[in-house]
Amino acid sequence: MSWPTTRITLRLRLPGTLWTAVGLVAVLAVVGALFPAVGHTIGKLNVPTSVANLLGGADYGTITGWFRSEIAVIYGPLVIAALAITGATAVTAGEEEDRILALVVAHPIRRSRLVAAKAAAIALIVLIVACAVWIGLIVGVAAGGGGISLAHITALAVQLAMFGLAAGSLALAIGACTGNRSLANGLAGGIVILGWLVNSFAPLVGTIDWLKYLTLFYYYADHDPLSRGVDVLGIAVLGVVALALTSVALAGFERRDLRA
Amino acid sequence: MFRDLGRAIPVEMADVSGESVIDTRGLSKDYGSGRGLFGLDLQVARGEVFGFLGPNGAGKSTTMRLLLDLIRPTSGAARVLELDTRRDSVEIRRRVGFLPGDLALYPKLTGRAVLDYLARLRGGVNLRVRDSLIDRFEADLDRPVRQLSTGNRQKLGLIQAFMHEPELLILDEPIAGLDPLVQRSFHALLGEVSAQGRTVFLSSHTLSEVERVTDRLAILREGRLVVVDSLENLRKVAVQRLEIEFAEPVAGDEFRKIPVVKEVRANGRILTIGFEGSADAVVKAAAGHEVRAIRPREDDLEDIFLRYYGEVAE
Repeated sequence: MSWPTTRITLRLRLPGTLWTAVGLVAVLAVVGALFPAVGHTIGKLNVPTSVANLLGGADYGTITGWFRSEIAVIYGPLVIAALAITGATAVTAGEEEDRILALVVAHPIRRSRLVAAKAAAIALIVLIVACAVWIGLIVGVAAGGGGISLAHITALAVQLAMFGLAAGSLALAIGACTGNRSLANGLAGGIVILGWLVNSFAPLVGTIDWLKYLTLFYYYADHDPLSRGVDVLGIAVLGVVALALTSVALAGFERRDLRA
Repeated sequence: MFRDLGRAIPVEMADVSGESVIDTRGLSKDYGSGRGLFGLDLQVARGEVFGFLGPNGAGKSTTMRLLLDLIRPTSGAARVLELDTRRDSVEIRRRVGFLPGDLALYPKLTGRAVLDYLARLRGGVNLRVRDSLIDRFEADLDRPVRQLSTGNRQKLGLIQAFMHEPELLILDEPIAGLDPLVQRSFHALLGEVSAQGRTVFLSSHTLSEVERVTDRLAILREGRLVVVDSLENLRKVAVQRLEIEFAEPVAGDEFRKIPVVKEVRANGRILTIGFEGSADAVVKAAAGHEVRAIRPREDDLEDIFLRYYGEVAE
């Protein structure tokens, strides 16, 4: 690890992250405040199964279902994945394409330590966003009249953090192994979105139901942490994926030519 | 010139048979389509200021990146400070100062923050040395890098390359963007570094810059080494020129017929005649006219450079 690199990466990315965190808390508070007014009405709608699955298959008429559909299944993971992916790409392939890494890598530090330091900074960014979701959910649930335990709110924030770490490590691996910013952003983002679609639709077709096990989304949200608490298996799988992909990033960046 | 700066190690002492700070054997990096570096055999001795010349795309930056293990060779090997560039790359980078060509820094950070980061990343930087470099170059440390001119960014690049007092400096186009006053400071700094027995390996395609500061130089073209020699020896083989001022205008054709004459340029009553070998035939031909003055014109490096290029191109 290189603490100077972790610190400088945080310094560069923290302002944007903090604004995102403030925005997330505000959005979650507003979403919670809307529940008493519209939640029960929307809950009575007959939504097609496919659409309901896209929204997490939850009951809008309950505050747990409301937050699962509005936040847990789409908004939360997409925001945290977007931040993690763009952040991980920017500090690897982005800095390489901008030619900044040509000078940094010429310093007396192993490349793997450099990538590890950047990965640590991005992990902290993800944790900050997950904390913002946790705070926002507490505020939002209170504004919506309560009904979700602090333990279950915490469970969602933890699952979300692990999902963000896995998504970020995917971009880190692609960015570190290729040095191509567009590829890292596009491929990692595409895999995450494809995972969301597969996890939503595969269960509707019995023969491809198994595909959901290949998605990060399944291990993040299928367990429904807002209703059932922490999914230890899901967290373990996401953690192993994050560690494995980070290892790929370290090894990949160590072994290849730096792009001109 | 270095001699004006009191440099301690004269050209004659730059003996490549001694300890080589840079030693490459058949070093190659093939990018395909004829691009890259091919079979570079090069030795740079301790204490030398070594110029690495060539046009854009000749392989200068590729060589420097190979020496620092930023890229890996297709074949061949290199040793820097008697260490293997692959196996000992971290130790090499600890003892080397590097300025990349097309320097890029974090645009949102101030110059001070960039230097702080790089000093911490490297470790062991003497802050007094760094501060003296900042004073010497009058670097602007308080504005974000994105607001700095190319020259001011280059100053930051030079400071970070020199601030840990490295044994070897690898500088890719170090003078790019610097104004003449800063160039003078830079040249003085190179003189001091060389006088301390430290080594400088610098590239340029601006020939006059290298001419002022180097002991020996190498010319690279299309990834291949064309020549390595001292400036003094290169001058010996260069085309010589005489500037002859006549009382009346004289036709240049008369001189072009002389076998040793390579070029004739006329400017009113003055002919500039480039020739190889003895000046005897040129002087005798001039004696057929009323001569006001004969002035020898020393070749500059550009002439030498272009001559070698011409030979290779032919």
